Amino acid sequence: MSAIFKKEIMTYFKTVTGYGFLGFFVLITGYFFVSQNIVAANANYNETLAGSMIMFLILVPVLTMRLFAEEARQKTDQLLYAAPIKVTDIVIGKFLAAAALMLIGIVITLVFPYLLSRSGQLAWGMTFVGMLGYFMMGMCLISVGIFISVLTDNQIVAAAATFASVFLLLMMDNISSSAPISVGSSVVFLALAVAAIALTVYSGTKNITVSGIFAIIGYVIMGVLYFINPNIYDGVIVKVLSWFSVLSRFENFYMGILSVSDVVYYITFTCAFLYFTVNVIEKRRWS
Amino acid sequence: MNKGVIALIEVKDLTKKFGPHIAVDNISFTVNDGEIVGFLGPNGAGKTTTMNMMTGFLSATEGSIRINGYDILDEPIKAKKQLGYLPDVPPVYGDMTVEEYLSFVCDLKGIKKSKRADMLNEIALTVQIKDVYKRLVKNLSKGYRQRVGLAQALVGFPEVLILDEPTVGLDPKQIIEMRALIKKLGEKHTVILSSHILSEVSAVCDRVMIINKGRIVATDTTEGLSNKAGNSMQLVTIKGDGYTACDKLDEWADIKSARVVSDNGDGTFDIKVTGRESIDIRELIFNTLANENIPILCLKPTALNLEEAFLKVINGELEDSEALNVHMVEGTDEREAE
Repeated sequence: MSAIFKKEIMTYFKTVTGYGFLGFFVLITGYFFVSQNIVAANANYNETLAGSMIMFLILVPVLTMRLFAEEARQKTDQLLYAAPIKVTDIVIGKFLAAAALMLIGIVITLVFPYLLSRSGQLAWGMTFVGMLGYFMMGMCLISVGIFISVLTDNQIVAAAATFASVFLLLMMDNISSSAPISVGSSVVFLALAVAAIALTVYSGTKNITVSGIFAIIGYVIMGVLYFINPNIYDGVIVKVLSWFSVLSRFENFYMGILSVSDVVYYITFTCAFLYFTVNVIEKRRWS
Repeated sequence: MNKGVIALIEVKDLTKKFGPHIAVDNISFTVNDGEIVGFLGPNGAGKTTTMNMMTGFLSATEGSIRINGYDILDEPIKAKKQLGYLPDVPPVYGDMTVEEYLSFVCDLKGIKKSKRADMLNEIALTVQIKDVYKRLVKNLSKGYRQRVGLAQALVGFPEVLILDEPTVGLDPKQIIEMRALIKKLGEKHTVILSSHILSEVSAVCDRVMIINKGRIVATDTTEGLSNKAGNSMQLVTIKGDGYTACDKLDEWADIKSARVVSDNGDGTFDIKVTGRESIDIRELIFNTLANENIPILCLKPTALNLEEAFLKVINGELEDSEALNVHMVEGTDEREAE
């Protein structure tokens, strides 16, 4: 794990990526700091954090697009997978390197709240909670970026797909609020979801019976639930979509509230995507 | 330990399917300690797939691979520690210098810091990359990149080296150097290399496995293959009556056939003599014709060279190496008739 971590950090700073990332990070944060705090004469640094989050759209793809796509293109993945280390260690090593770069950026921008505290009252506790949330949200998006990077051997494709995914995740609040909430739409949505799961099972096992059983069990459960209490189908789409809304989980951090459930959510989200990444690699070996 | 008789690599009933396509079809073989074994086959024969499975990069659909006693699936870390792998494209990072790259590989393979300097020094001397040690890999020539790739495989001095087409893309001088290097490495390591160039395999390897369409179609020592192909068929130029000579030669049990190939018109004949499998018939030809007072002007083995034998084998015209001889002869005839 440390070998991969060291190598990725070295690569970030051997190429323009690391410096470009940090420069852009500080620049954009600085811009929001000036507009949200200095011009607005506001001592709440979390305003800056919330505003500058938009730069994740660009910065997360920059951090993650290369990580696996470039290994596949250069065929250096053969070196990594033939080496006596676990796939999990490779994925975590790469993730930690990207996370470390973001952490470096956050540490550098600590100078902004420091400036605020020099000339006024700064609630440090609230600021740190905000920064923690900000960092953890970054982790979530990085894990999504890493997952996308492992799916392709083209950095540009990885970058574009990561941009689109980060955009969707940041917009998820808007999307879910405009989603239909009727029982009918929920049933259709769930039926499609069950079909998708059955298809995934089929693509993994190539066994029509097993995937058929999955689909049938899914539909039977749906039917039984509908029979017992049709109201549980209210707003299922909204509930599911809002699970993916990483931004809404930031609200507590923004207000300086450290809630365990939000921390757990971010960690779960990150681990889930890293786990998917490991699985994609392992599955590729078997297919 | 009693070295030399240990099966360092045991491959059993190995099969790999990509969807409906069978890339490797139920192959089994063992490689003993200290051997240099060549995988020979055309592109797409399954050489790289087999090697990728042996290194744990791919997993087998069926069958097992044991490296020095460790199963590659059950104990991948231990098994991989016994291996050095040079894939067909050297897995190097352009943005690193050779030094940084090798030190990354040391990290990756968990080589102790205290051992590194000496080990890297020895490796750099062996593969001759000292003079490019501080340069960026992306600025190196293909030959040097290949050597850096080989250096990477050597890190940790693993028991087994797996080299996938190590000479592809090199210039003739580099090819000769690379072969010499592999021979030298074979003194300390067990080497498996793949190639689609037969002369290369016969120059370097102790043993050859010809693999085609995912199956091992022939396996033999290099000497065995060349003997079989080498001395059993001779083109003899004689002065005198070729037909008498053929009749006389045909009387011997060891000689399968003797035929006039051409009447050169100046009192000399070219005749072709084919012996039974694996028998050197040169002395017999000499003695027979000397008794008949027919001078031999020229005697040369025209046996199919290995290249042609190999083509025959992979075209599926041969079932196994036993049949090699018989078919080889016919093969040559067809060629000459054309």
